[in-house]
Amino acid sequence: MAGVLARVIQRTKPQLGIVGPLVAKGNSNVPVRYQGTQKQPEGKQRGSPLNDSDRIFTNLYGRHDWRLKGAMSRGDWYKTKEILLKGSDWIVNEMKTSGLRGRGGAGFPTGMKWSFMKKPSDGRPHYLVVNADEGEPGTCKDREIMRHDPHKLVEGCLIAGRAINAIAAYIYIRGEFYNEASNLQVAIAEAYQAGLLGKDACGSGYAFDVYVHRGAGAYICGEETALIESIEGKQGKPRLKPPFPADIGLFGCPTTVNNVETISVAPTICRRGGAWFASFGRVRNQGTKLYNISGHVNTPCTVEEEMSIPLKELIERHAGGVIGGWDNLLAIIPGGSSTPLIPKSVCDTVLMDFDALVAAQSAFGTAAIIVMDKSTDIVKAIARLIMFYKHESCGQCTPCREGVGWMNKIIYRMVDGNASPKEIDMLWEISKQIEGHTICALGDGAAWPVQGLIRHFRPELERRMAQYAATHGPSKAERLY
Amino acid sequence: MSLGKIFALDKVATFFNIIRQNGGIRASLYKLYRQDELKDGTLVGEDKYGNKYFENPRFFYGRNRWVEYNDKAYLNYDGSQVPAEWFGWLHYKTDLPPHKDPSRPKYKWMADFTENMSGTTGQYVPYSTTRAKVEPWVPKSKSS
Amino acid sequence: MLRQPLSRALTLSSPVRAAPLAARPYAAQAPPPPEKVEVFIDDKPVHVLPGTTILQAAALVGVEIPRFCYHERLAVAGNCRMCLVEIERSPKPAAACAMPVMKGMRVKTNSDLTKKAREGVMEFLLVNHPLDCPICDQGGECDLQDQSMAFGSDRSRFTDIHFSGKRAVEDKDVGPLIKTIMTRCIHCTRCIRFASEVAGVDDFGTTGRGSDMQVGTYVEKMFLSELSGNIIDLCPVGALTSKPYSFAARPWETRRIDSVDVLDPLGSNIVIATRTNEVLRILPRTNEEINEEWLSDKSRFACDGLKRQRLVTPMMTDSRGNLTPVEWEDAMVAAARALRDCPPGKLLAVAGDLADAESLVALKDLVNRLGSDSTCTEQYFPLDGAGIDLRSSYLCNTKIANVEDADFVLLIGTNTRFEAPLLNARIRKAFIHKDTDVALIGPKVDLTYEYIHVGDSASAVKDLATGSSSHEVMKRLEAAKRPVVILGADQLKTPEGAAILAYTQELALRLQDKLEDKKWKVLNVLQRTASQVAALDIGYQPGVGAALQAGPQVVYLLGADSGVVSRDQLPKGATVIYQGHHGDAGAAIADIVLPGAAYTEKRATYVNAEGRAQQTLVAVTPPGKAREDWKIIRALSEVVGQRLPYDTLDEVRDRLSEISPALVTYGDVQDNNYFAQARSLAQSLQKPVSGKVDVQLKKLEDFFMTDPISRASPTMAKCVQAVIKQKSSKY
Repeated sequence: MAGVLARVIQRTKPQLGIVGPLVAKGNSNVPVRYQGTQKQPEGKQRGSPLNDSDRIFTNLYGRHDWRLKGAMSRGDWYKTKEILLKGSDWIVNEMKTSGLRGRGGAGFPTGMKWSFMKKPSDGRPHYLVVNADEGEPGTCKDREIMRHDPHKLVEGCLIAGRAINAIAAYIYIRGEFYNEASNLQVAIAEAYQAGLLGKDACGSGYAFDVYVHRGAGAYICGEETALIESIEGKQGKPRLKPPFPADIGLFGCPTTVNNVETISVAPTICRRGGAWFASFGRVRNQGTKLYNISGHVNTPCTVEEEMSIPLKELIERHAGGVIGGWDNLLAIIPGGSSTPLIPKSVCDTVLMDFDALVAAQSAFGTAAIIVMDKSTDIVKAIARLIMFYKHESCGQCTPCREGVGWMNKIIYRMVDGNASPKEIDMLWEISKQIEGHTICALGDGAAWPVQGLIRHFRPELERRMAQYAATHGPSKAERLY
Repeated sequence: MSLGKIFALDKVATFFNIIRQNGGIRASLYKLYRQDELKDGTLVGEDKYGNKYFENPRFFYGRNRWVEYNDKAYLNYDGSQVPAEWFGWLHYKTDLPPHKDPSRPKYKWMADFTENMSGTTGQYVPYSTTRAKVEPWVPKSKSS
Repeated sequence: MLRQPLSRALTLSSPVRAAPLAARPYAAQAPPPPEKVEVFIDDKPVHVLPGTTILQAAALVGVEIPRFCYHERLAVAGNCRMCLVEIERSPKPAAACAMPVMKGMRVKTNSDLTKKAREGVMEFLLVNHPLDCPICDQGGECDLQDQSMAFGSDRSRFTDIHFSGKRAVEDKDVGPLIKTIMTRCIHCTRCIRFASEVAGVDDFGTTGRGSDMQVGTYVEKMFLSELSGNIIDLCPVGALTSKPYSFAARPWETRRIDSVDVLDPLGSNIVIATRTNEVLRILPRTNEEINEEWLSDKSRFACDGLKRQRLVTPMMTDSRGNLTPVEWEDAMVAAARALRDCPPGKLLAVAGDLADAESLVALKDLVNRLGSDSTCTEQYFPLDGAGIDLRSSYLCNTKIANVEDADFVLLIGTNTRFEAPLLNARIRKAFIHKDTDVALIGPKVDLTYEYIHVGDSASAVKDLATGSSSHEVMKRLEAAKRPVVILGADQLKTPEGAAILAYTQELALRLQDKLEDKKWKVLNVLQRTASQVAALDIGYQPGVGAALQAGPQVVYLLGADSGVVSRDQLPKGATVIYQGHHGDAGAAIADIVLPGAAYTEKRATYVNAEGRAQQTLVAVTPPGKAREDWKIIRALSEVVGQRLPYDTLDEVRDRLSEISPALVTYGDVQDNNYFAQARSLAQSLQKPVSGKVDVQLKKLEDFFMTDPISRASPTMAKCVQAVIKQKSSKY
């Protein structure tokens, strides 16, 4: 869920001047999608495989000790005090230099997000909320961090908290992640015992607490405001924005909500410098990233790689290639279930970063790559995703509550072909009526897979309908209009 | 043609005859007031409601049988007060008045004649099926 | 808890949502208003305060933006998405109800994007709406109907009706007043927000999510509140409709008459919907100074009591002592004979809860002309000290609308929740939005908000008045900039009533003298009935005790039904004439019954607890032989031989204005002075008090049946049953 949410921020806050280029062409229908193609970016043109020395998550596979001792041996908590003492401005600046964009999916520049918290205080405390409600189908990066490298997250909380002058961090962890939550809790307890957290965190004189809050199993609670509501003990239903959490967030106080991965890379960025981080990937897409590759590949995995690496290279190198060879590929969902799929022709060349995927009419999301080979019933696959979104819609606002359910009904008929070809256009329009009309981005996330399907697999839909009509006679849906 | 006829003296005789038969000047005037006409005729019979039935062949067909309603009816008489058994005679369906007609059937199930009460206080009014809009207060009875 | 200091202040109290400033002079005094910003709605420029939403700005230039979930008196939910509008240079439409304006913002409410968004939302709302408008009680006054006509698409493309149909939701039993047809619900959550914000009953909420989301009471529980009926008005569709009114009429068939409610002392403004000379339902009418747009359940639903237990014909006792219907002539002659034969000092007139000012003045004039001056009301008020000579002593001087600007409210011996529900709603509003604190002297009752309980002994009032109290409330009162003290009129009938009143006056006026704001009034005496203020203005003596001691030979009861006059208290052989509209306590003891008109059946003046004269209008004719009350008395005066000098309503009102112009300045309320005099006159009455402060209406079941109309109402009886049933439920 986190994957889709900040896209809303991007588009509702143009007046703040963030993501400048896309604001300029605000009248276009899909301004965000083509932001990368407007101007040939300078610097690197594509990413290449990462050296082991440049990996941030060195215990991603749990081969080493995840507890404090092991973590410290891998360099965590090293000179954290010095970083804290450099102060909030330094940390935020370093984040800005690094070009880190939020890893939860929306890709909002983290340094800028943290700088929103620097407004003069009105007496209210600040909070950091870490979004560990990793519910997006296909995404499995945060759990690896929390399971095998929890201290990276705990240290990240402290540094991010210092940057935004928070008094406490709340880690909202998905309820199903039982082992992850317990590892994380152990890590926090260790940090407290070692004096790394608490009244005098790392001996810097800065008081900071970290709490873990376990969710109850709702995808929507990965939306930042729904997550805040959930921590407050209410139903996890997104709040209206504005006011943004940076003004009124957790318990009515200024709050920053960040993804686990975003927070976890912060200490390393501070230690090795923002420029080091910015040296990876293309301009505006810098850094390293955890990719999750699942589906019809030989060795599904989660792997840390450089941004802007070609999709094909990523799959071939780390996932053992598509089952049955690259030519057996049908389509790929590149950024978690809420992003539109891209067909094989696009997969051949596309780079894995924010701008390149937007140019390919998809989105980078959480970089959860779902590979589908030619044995896939693509319509059924998308239908199952829509069913997921229908089930997870919070029901608060109309387009999502009614529209996604309606889409679900139509697309399940299309699986059998029991529909009218006219309904394909209708489905497209319905998805457009949902997209952008809802409080949070779940509606968008539910609309995009359908749009991707129609965009690239319309002939397949029509073929099924013709087949159905040939065997069963015309569908009742032909009575339309 | 007698002289009397020429001078219409027979009409005068008839006039006096009519007055006599109707019970004198006073009674005749009253009858004229009540019935708007005076006739002489033979009393054929009287029904159980006190209406009297007359016949006089001197009048032309259609006016030669008539009924004089019971005095109790005063001005409130109407055709429906003639009972069924006299109806036939009065309307020339039969020339035999009921008491002289032995062949008339009489069954137990024959209902008693009733006149048409429309327009009177005795008329039939269907009961209302609407509920009263206001339910009045009924005071408690103090002593029975 | 709703009351969250800062976030609530920021999200809830946008400036335009408050009542018009004319009604609330104190509202504008808070911080100096910030500079206005210019925005453009459909290219029309409008200057508004920052923080105003687009929807409010659009309303200022007369641009109507459709909405379902937004309600100006409730928190913004923003979930129906009907109010989406295009904002220039924004790729997505924004929810106008929640989006604050920004400088130079250009809003297009007529663009293609806006229209498409509305059509889309409308289509989605109708996907699972049953479209049973022909059998829906909301038909004709349904927001969904209206807006689908105005803003929706002209055809349906919901093909899935051939395959899977629509969602259906089980109906909930939420009590005898509200009928639920939950399939029609569009999840606007207005009812939920009303229940938690205004009514203060957190019983409503949503369960489930997505298309399984349901609005309900979580558990099988009835929604029992004194303000529950308002969610019927709030519901934009037919999901919540009135149970007593179900399938009764269509809105276009009814005739609507603006009138005033008399079942509580506030005089809420109402609209009476009638058809074929029958009151079908009562709806609230917006009056920012009294009831905003709410109405209490008793005022709204007791109208079926107007059709039961009515006096429709004059009656007299026959030889066996039973009341039997007679003609007006006989009743008049008998009543006139009784009045004429009565020795001058032995005539007593008692006015009841629902008497209007016209009949009050006519009756008083008649009694005076017959040589007697004992005219009383049923409700007592201490006559010592200033008594009723100073109007300020028996009115709510702060005024209802100003209560929400108060910063500390002290309630003495009153359960405002049931004695004046809408005043309580105001206090709750202040409590939630303005951080006003409330203290209560009296029995612990549920006021729907937290309060500081100062105990229930009358000496607490004394301690506060003399300044010798060590309770924290003392400090809070002293520190308050706009304190309000509300004394329940029920306290005054106790033997210590005079002292309690004196202490309350002392306390209130001591506080008032210290205020910077010289116009702010602190003292409020909350009367219990709609007639009391007018009766005291006209010169009725409060309470019947002394008058009954004198052993009256003839007692004229003008709707006196609260039972303070009974046969046992009267000398044997006394004649009781009862004039009123319901067969209740008064008519039961009467020898002669003269049927009068209820408040829906006459044009009459009522003065509410703050001294505001308002008039009811004729909605239906009095039933049977009943007549308007002042006309009966006027006719009787003719028969007695003491003709009253007025023949028309205007002449009666001229007479009223002779007595007090305040009685006929409709809709207006005049400020009271002479507080200092009342205070000094009350000094001598500050005697030690030792009793307990008690209130009559403690629980919800006490609230529903308090006067002849509501006692005759089957709906109110069902409400009482429902409350009792709910009490035995495990929830």
